[in-house]
Amino acid sequence: MSSADLASRLAAYAATRMPTAREVEVRDLSRISGGASRQTYRFRLAWTEEGERRERRMILRRDPPASLIDTERRVEFAAYSAFRGSKVPVPEMIWLEEGSEALDQPFSVAEEITGFEAAPALLWTEPYLASHEALARTKWSILGEIARADPFALGLDSVMPPPEPGACAFRELDMWEKVLDEDQAEPLPITRAAIRWLRANPPPAAQKIGVVHGDFRTGNFLYDRQGGIHGVLDWEMAHLGDPLEDLGWSLNPVWNFKRNLAGGLVPDAVAIAHWEAASGLKADPDALHWWTLFNCVKGQAIWISSARAWIDGGNREPIMVLPAWGMQNAQDRAILKVMDRL
Amino acid sequence: MKPDIPAVLAELAGLVARNAVPDVDPAERAGALGLSAALLGLAAEAWDGAAQRLVEENRALRALLASAGDRASRDAWLAEGGDDDLRISALSSMNARLRAALIDLHAAVERDPSPEARELEAEIWEELRRSTERRLMSGALA
Repeated sequence: MSSADLASRLAAYAATRMPTAREVEVRDLSRISGGASRQTYRFRLAWTEEGERRERRMILRRDPPASLIDTERRVEFAAYSAFRGSKVPVPEMIWLEEGSEALDQPFSVAEEITGFEAAPALLWTEPYLASHEALARTKWSILGEIARADPFALGLDSVMPPPEPGACAFRELDMWEKVLDEDQAEPLPITRAAIRWLRANPPPAAQKIGVVHGDFRTGNFLYDRQGGIHGVLDWEMAHLGDPLEDLGWSLNPVWNFKRNLAGGLVPDAVAIAHWEAASGLKADPDALHWWTLFNCVKGQAIWISSARAWIDGGNREPIMVLPAWGMQNAQDRAILKVMDRL
Repeated sequence: MKPDIPAVLAELAGLVARNAVPDVDPAERAGALGLSAALLGLAAEAWDGAAQRLVEENRALRALLASAGDRASRDAWLAEGGDDDLRISALSSMNARLRAALIDLHAAVERDPSPEARELEAEIWEELRRSTERRLMSGALA
């Protein structure tokens, strides 16, 4: 579908969702690079209402034919909506369309948060160098707020099945090991060794059943120059489970970006302290070690599945190859590091 | 590296040709070409050392399987012979069989409480560490 066709069909869809609006137009539609699990576009929606011409900047996220992460967009939409107005900054979700009639694939539309950065690489250039400690405090405090939230009070248990506290770990491990079994294109001796260790050394039951963002890391939030965060993005792997899972993902060494610091920002102990202060939970070192290693396995499964989507021809976009080529060895080395084998 | 480099290069050739058409949206073109450039850089870095890495690794894996004796009996035949076919596809195929055998051997060694098994386990971990050194690329994302 050309950009002009997409803009035209999106405008027609918007008109059906805004019955009092007239002369609905989609302007300046442009694809944002990246976004391996959804095709992401920014655009301006213009319309006339109550005799007045109005305009709003929005983001369209449309499912590709095959994505890096197969997720339920309803779950993602619910997670964003649940945290709207809380201490966890998220963009407003506007429309969720699960049918394929309007744009050939399901999609969602959200407000665009402008004026901030998401790219990790910028953090290690001026003027961001002085913001690392403040950004780390904000980052892991927000993650702690996600952990503190009550998913049942938020109504999220209606779209995300809650596991028993003692079943969180192996439910996740089973799921991601299955992805590896189905998608691996070559044997993975380091990852398989990690899985055997995880099965032989299960963690204690979760302290609580919480909301797990599933991909909370540097690169998936919008930051400013002073260490503030204005939008937590990419909730497509959100689920209910052990809050330590999210902390472990944020400490996966591949997110150090070749710096020996959590998220490339601060020592692990500092990140953990911020998380504990905000969440009111304790990060038991042995349990956190299990979840960090688990997240290395999960990461490998994600990189492997992007390769599989490309190999099978479901998605031949170059973004699907980059994680497979650029992350797989780094993830293996991360596993060795966490297992104290490097 | 999976997907295989030749298949990716062929796909990138088509992508670049499609983006040579004048009326492609500039933002889409920038995204496609930027990602293509990153992949071409990784492919270029892997190209020269690919055969050497695979031959070296296959040799190390055969030595490990040979030293495992009865523990690797199911895959004993893999420990013999060498890499006569030096095409990357043939070397990669043999590498996959050897790494699959290594996984089986590693699991068997972990179940064995003997001191000899601990020694072999340490050798396996050392080879796994070396395998990540062989695959290091300066252009890797992390």
